[in-house]
Amino acid sequence: MWWAFLQPLILMLLFNMLRGFVNIPSDGIPYLLFSYSALVPWTFFTNSVAACGPSIITNADVIKKIALPREVFPLAAVAATLFDFAMSSILLAAMMVWFKVQIGWVLLWLPVLIVLMAATAFAVGILLAGLGTFRKDFIFATPFLTQAWLFVTPVIYPLSTVPEKWQSLYMLNPMVGVIEGFRNVLLKSSAPAWEPMASAVLVTTVLLAISWPLFRKLSAYFADVL
Amino acid sequence: MLVSKDVAIRIQGLWKRYGLPVPDIVRRTFNLATRATGLKKSRDNGPWALRDINLEVNKGETVAIVGRNGAGKSTLLKVLAGVTTPTSGRVEVYGRIFPMIELNAGLNMELTGRENVRLLGAVMGFSRLEIESKLPEIEEFTELGEWFDRPVRMYSSGMLGRLGFGVAINVDSDVILIDETFAVGDLKFQNKSMARVKQMRESGATVLLVSHSLDSLQFVAKTGVVLEEGRLVAAGSSLEAISAYETLVFRSEQQRLEHRVRARISSEEVNIFSARVYTKDGESLTEVPSGVPFGIEVDLQLNRQVQKPMFSMGLVNAAGILCKWNVSEEDGLSVLGDGDRYVLRVWYPQNHLANGAYEGHFAARDVASYETLERIAGIVSFAVVGSQRARGIVTGKCRWELAPWNSAEGSSQGVGIRE
Repeated sequence: MWWAFLQPLILMLLFNMLRGFVNIPSDGIPYLLFSYSALVPWTFFTNSVAACGPSIITNADVIKKIALPREVFPLAAVAATLFDFAMSSILLAAMMVWFKVQIGWVLLWLPVLIVLMAATAFAVGILLAGLGTFRKDFIFATPFLTQAWLFVTPVIYPLSTVPEKWQSLYMLNPMVGVIEGFRNVLLKSSAPAWEPMASAVLVTTVLLAISWPLFRKLSAYFADVL
Repeated sequence: MLVSKDVAIRIQGLWKRYGLPVPDIVRRTFNLATRATGLKKSRDNGPWALRDINLEVNKGETVAIVGRNGAGKSTLLKVLAGVTTPTSGRVEVYGRIFPMIELNAGLNMELTGRENVRLLGAVMGFSRLEIESKLPEIEEFTELGEWFDRPVRMYSSGMLGRLGFGVAINVDSDVILIDETFAVGDLKFQNKSMARVKQMRESGATVLLVSHSLDSLQFVAKTGVVLEEGRLVAAGSSLEAISAYETLVFRSEQQRLEHRVRARISSEEVNIFSARVYTKDGESLTEVPSGVPFGIEVDLQLNRQVQKPMFSMGLVNAAGILCKWNVSEEDGLSVLGDGDRYVLRVWYPQNHLANGAYEGHFAARDVASYETLERIAGIVSFAVVGSQRARGIVTGKCRWELAPWNSAEGSSQGVGIRE
């Protein structure tokens, strides 16, 4: 339970230290708040993806004996991580009060952002769970994947530092829309920017449209290889 | 398509091979590629677990599925349960299915028995209301008492099984698959479970049972099918299926053991050239008719000069019970070991062996030192076959009497065991 707080907190402190050596802009927001507001959704994403991957293998006992929709297991992994997300959000709220952040009606965007965030994590998670059940390499590769993913996501740095000509390509990463959306809504009291948001919804939909049917197809044979 | 109302399960041309089916074209190109680069050949997709199964089960039938280990029984249940998909063919199950492939699947060790019943019900797709209404019944059936409200991790394996079985057979389902679960609990619970399955059958539920306990299968199942190497080799009444299965087991056991014996057993002390079961006329045979005398002949050579050899022959049945054991000396064989190659004959003038498969366990000793020269389990194997069922260890008719009770004599005779 304490890990729910600790993980993003430690990363926040590390990034803050990093900022002491390297000049990282933060759109005029206190850097602690700037990084932590991104780390809360980001930690959720990495943790739920990491939990989804082996969710089939760890539930082998049940899967081999009872026929139920296999999506339940990655879905449960995402839902359990959502609880951690809620926990670390409490600290975020406390920080927002401390830094006297103005909030308004734009907070109504939060449910939308949370659903989008969970959908993205689920889409990536079931892909890894489905493939990882047959080839464990996919599960072993997950930490490297999410680590690399961090560098192409505006967690440490703001989206504004990404060169204009690269931005449309950069926004193909659905987590860009999610994290920028959280920052806009929570810290800048403005609605999520249109472009990254639309891009995130589109990419997540496409990703789900590929990974879910693939997972369904593969799931029929889970019991055979477990 | 017109579906007959009475059919509960319909299986048409079911083939099943484990593992992810790789499309043929992909495999072929992959093979080509690996062959071109000289790498090792890709593995075959493995053997078929089920081959061309066609089966129709009507509503309210109780079907026993028998077969040896690896015959595909559990695979068939898994396919029916929807745990795994058929490689090809159609499987249709009409009505709500409750698979009990392994009873303690899906139990959460930290939750109590009661909570686990709710969990299991939810997993199986029963509504909360349905499960709540069945809870008292399940609680009573499982006979767990106060344990019902304790965490499952404290349960014994028998209690776990009782819990799972209690849920399986107390909720309303149309088709129930039971795999090897009569071994659960003590004798009393087993009997109760069997009675409950019978009762379910009467109320119209379809039950498929896999068990190695042929007696219990015979008790609850009306019909039976036999699987062998993934094929459905026999179907009929449960008695027919069970005897077909028994014959199958005897035959294959014999083949295996015959093969082993033919490949000459030799050790430092003894060479066995051949061993066979023979009849009164001296003919070899592998199936001894029930009640008919037979003998076992062993052609052997002792590699050590033994002053006075002594032999023993034990007959062990399929369950590993030693049914008969004879020692040559006790039975009056007294020869001096002047040669080194012998033909040893053991004749059984009274064959009281019950139907079943048997192995001969042979030992050679030196009387003087009472030292065992060689002990060979399964030197011969044979089956005793007859019309009656393989029950008990010995056969032989009893004389039965049913006399009308006579009140005048009853008091003096009926009481009994007084000398």
